[in-house]
Amino acid sequence: MGVLSKLHPLRSHSGAAQGGINAALDPKDSVKDHVYDTVKGSDYLADQDAAEILCKEAGPTVIEMEHMGTIFNRAPDGSLDRRAFGGASYNRTIYAADRTGLALLQALYEEVGRDRKIRVYEEWDAIDLIVRDGRVQGVVAMERKSGHIEGFAAKAVVLATGPAGRIYGKTTNSHESTGDGCALAYRAGAFLKDMEFVQFHPTCLPHTSILITEGARGEGGILRNAKGERFMERYAPHFKELASRDVVSRAIVTEVREGRGFPDGTVRLELMHLGKEKVESKLQEIVSYSRTFAGIDPVVEGIPVFPAQHYMMGGISTNPKAETNISGLYAAGEAACVSVHGANRLGANSLLETLVYGKIAGQNAAAYAKTATASTLSQADVEASQNTVHALLERKDGETPAKIRTEMQSTMDELVGVYRHPDDLINAITRISQLKVRYTKCIVTDKSTTFNLNLIEAIELGHMLDLAEVIVAGALARTESRGAHVRTDYPKRDDQKWMRHTLASVTKEGPNLTYLPVTVTEFQPKERAY
Amino acid sequence: MTQVPFEILRNDGKSGQSHFQSFVVDVEENQAILTALLKIRSEQDPSLAMRYSCRQAICGSCAMRVNGKSRLVCTTMVGPEFRAHGKIRIEPMLNQMVVRDLVVDQTPFWDRYNAVQPFLIHDPSHPMPEGKETRMSPEQVEQFYETPRCIACAACYSACPAVGSDPEFLGPMALAKLYRFTVDPRDTAYHQRLQSVQNQKLWLCLRCNLCVEACPKDVRPAERIVDLKRLAVQEIGTPEHGSRHAQKFLTNIEDGGVLNETKLARETLGLFGMLGQVGKGISMMRHGKSLKKHPPIQGVSEVKAIYADLNQPEDLKGRQRPAGKGVKGGEQ
Repeated sequence: MGVLSKLHPLRSHSGAAQGGINAALDPKDSVKDHVYDTVKGSDYLADQDAAEILCKEAGPTVIEMEHMGTIFNRAPDGSLDRRAFGGASYNRTIYAADRTGLALLQALYEEVGRDRKIRVYEEWDAIDLIVRDGRVQGVVAMERKSGHIEGFAAKAVVLATGPAGRIYGKTTNSHESTGDGCALAYRAGAFLKDMEFVQFHPTCLPHTSILITEGARGEGGILRNAKGERFMERYAPHFKELASRDVVSRAIVTEVREGRGFPDGTVRLELMHLGKEKVESKLQEIVSYSRTFAGIDPVVEGIPVFPAQHYMMGGISTNPKAETNISGLYAAGEAACVSVHGANRLGANSLLETLVYGKIAGQNAAAYAKTATASTLSQADVEASQNTVHALLERKDGETPAKIRTEMQSTMDELVGVYRHPDDLINAITRISQLKVRYTKCIVTDKSTTFNLNLIEAIELGHMLDLAEVIVAGALARTESRGAHVRTDYPKRDDQKWMRHTLASVTKEGPNLTYLPVTVTEFQPKERAY
Repeated sequence: MTQVPFEILRNDGKSGQSHFQSFVVDVEENQAILTALLKIRSEQDPSLAMRYSCRQAICGSCAMRVNGKSRLVCTTMVGPEFRAHGKIRIEPMLNQMVVRDLVVDQTPFWDRYNAVQPFLIHDPSHPMPEGKETRMSPEQVEQFYETPRCIACAACYSACPAVGSDPEFLGPMALAKLYRFTVDPRDTAYHQRLQSVQNQKLWLCLRCNLCVEACPKDVRPAERIVDLKRLAVQEIGTPEHGSRHAQKFLTNIEDGGVLNETKLARETLGLFGMLGQVGKGISMMRHGKSLKKHPPIQGVSEVKAIYADLNQPEDLKGRQRPAGKGVKGGEQ
């Protein structure tokens, strides 16, 4: 078994997850309530069978990670401490200060290092997914250090390649979050599901879009506009700041658009009333982010915040066994869409989904590999990838990938944001397809075989443009407002027509959209109020 | 916008030659140096090789030297560096071979990390509570105050003058990681872990504190090394040179208020061991160091009083830890 990672595994973006991981561990809480909150948060687009697995496995997963060595915060009695989180009817978010992702990532990586039976290939970029004879045959990857391109024959492949947030300019995601696995799977014939559902996190620092965790509101943080009003009381009288993320993001955008924001176009997240000790101990990272990147001290003043792209609810379409439509190909984490997040993910459900469905994917991939015949990945596959890369390197004149990337990001920021106007979406489709044409002529000026980032960013840009096209196509087709997808011309949810998942598959003319019914078990859709 | 001159040490990774290249970048002073470097990449020279990802001091990718100091460029701001030096000089980290430009081969850093068995070791004959978390007291949790913050950026490793001088020495990050497991109540390899780092692996630390200054997450590795040394002496005494040197240094000063190098060497190494040090002794004398016995200083009674105070039983677990100061933003 091998793990290919474009970064050293400890540098993965999971480490940036701050707030926590949901699990109904308290005897007064229940798995059923967790499922309900998740389904309600999803605006009823989540598949309820998948959500049931997620919430049922949550407790055992958190305990397993604790036994593995994760350092969680503790209550005074020594048990796992819990904090409140958005859209949750009970305080069920287990956490490690405001770096829960880092704590879990470290423990899991430490476990990989225990017996060294898993070979980790660090700083290898997957550049092709080989699918033939109706099943996956492996991947072709390039080593950053040497530029060497090699084939990795595999009976089964699990894609856990994370987010694609860098399609947007204003994103909380890391620079390496370029959706590579999603794009490779899509090109190889896998379905992408519900890509139009893009989560905008309500509280991000201006300019840098650095995330200020929902845990800050979970610990009691309050949002105020420039008039000093606690405006969430108007949008979500019951949950207020802890309404689901789509609700809070829309409220902030509306406040600022209607002139009640601060001159810098933000609102304020106030933590001052919580006291220095609580803020500095439970929210260590965000205290330093505020001081370093915004020059303000949250112990004494409000943090300027505005929504930014944060999470893709959509991804490679999987079923509750983490299987894709391609035999031997599995996916989990943000790259996948099973779907448990539906149209809007609840905070602290992403680390949970990654661990629960990551484990399911691993187990099923291992079982599949035991019965599958040998991979037919050959030197010809490797040479085909090498030729593509060489052709890219040999192009003589054209634009730089950086220029096209910047235009793609501003297109998505301006036209495919929290509120979506049909004219904007049509405009975005045109612009993305023009950028795709320009991309075929972009040049890589760096010809080195050693750590050639210029080449890698050109490859990543191709991935992101493919995904941007699918996001916009899905958004234009979905003539309703549900969760994080809000159409200005169709402001209401339309269960009659749209209680279904979007499936995108690749064609020469662009994405072909088909639809799949939502699995409903216990919770019939009803109006969503917080 | 300010026009900020940058000098970046380039190395194509093939010829073995390094040279400084100058760039001028239009950048806000309150922006991170990473932002300026990315501007160079996208507007001036896309061939500049470097590691970076999260831009918020959590992935640990972008450690390099900024005006000579090992820093994460994502949380080191342009303004203070520019104002203090008139330019910003960027070089790759030290103690690791350059792959290309600002990218270094981190193999020696990760080898040391792997050498401390960086995973929970739990005796299966004492199983963890089934289906439940292990309980931890607030005092036990307090031991984890700094070390979970470590992002393995290797800034401390780059700043450390000892890792380059002796391949045995594990260096600040690996030892801080070892401390994290040593104090973990779930870990049952306490003795084995402390036993495994005797001599140069642990005791070579010079206590120069450069790792504390370099660490962007305030893990304060040098303090964790001191913690480990204390635990090691408590658990296994002073069976080898490193710990014995520290112990004898202590009694040496207590006796006379001044360091007696000859006595220290004899007590640490024994008479046979001293033979190997003859050359060093001659060299020291040549440089004007007296190896004669030093008479006790005048205020030796005050020294003894200080020792008496320090020797009061100390509750290691209950000690007050200062609140973390968090991510460094340039020069604060």
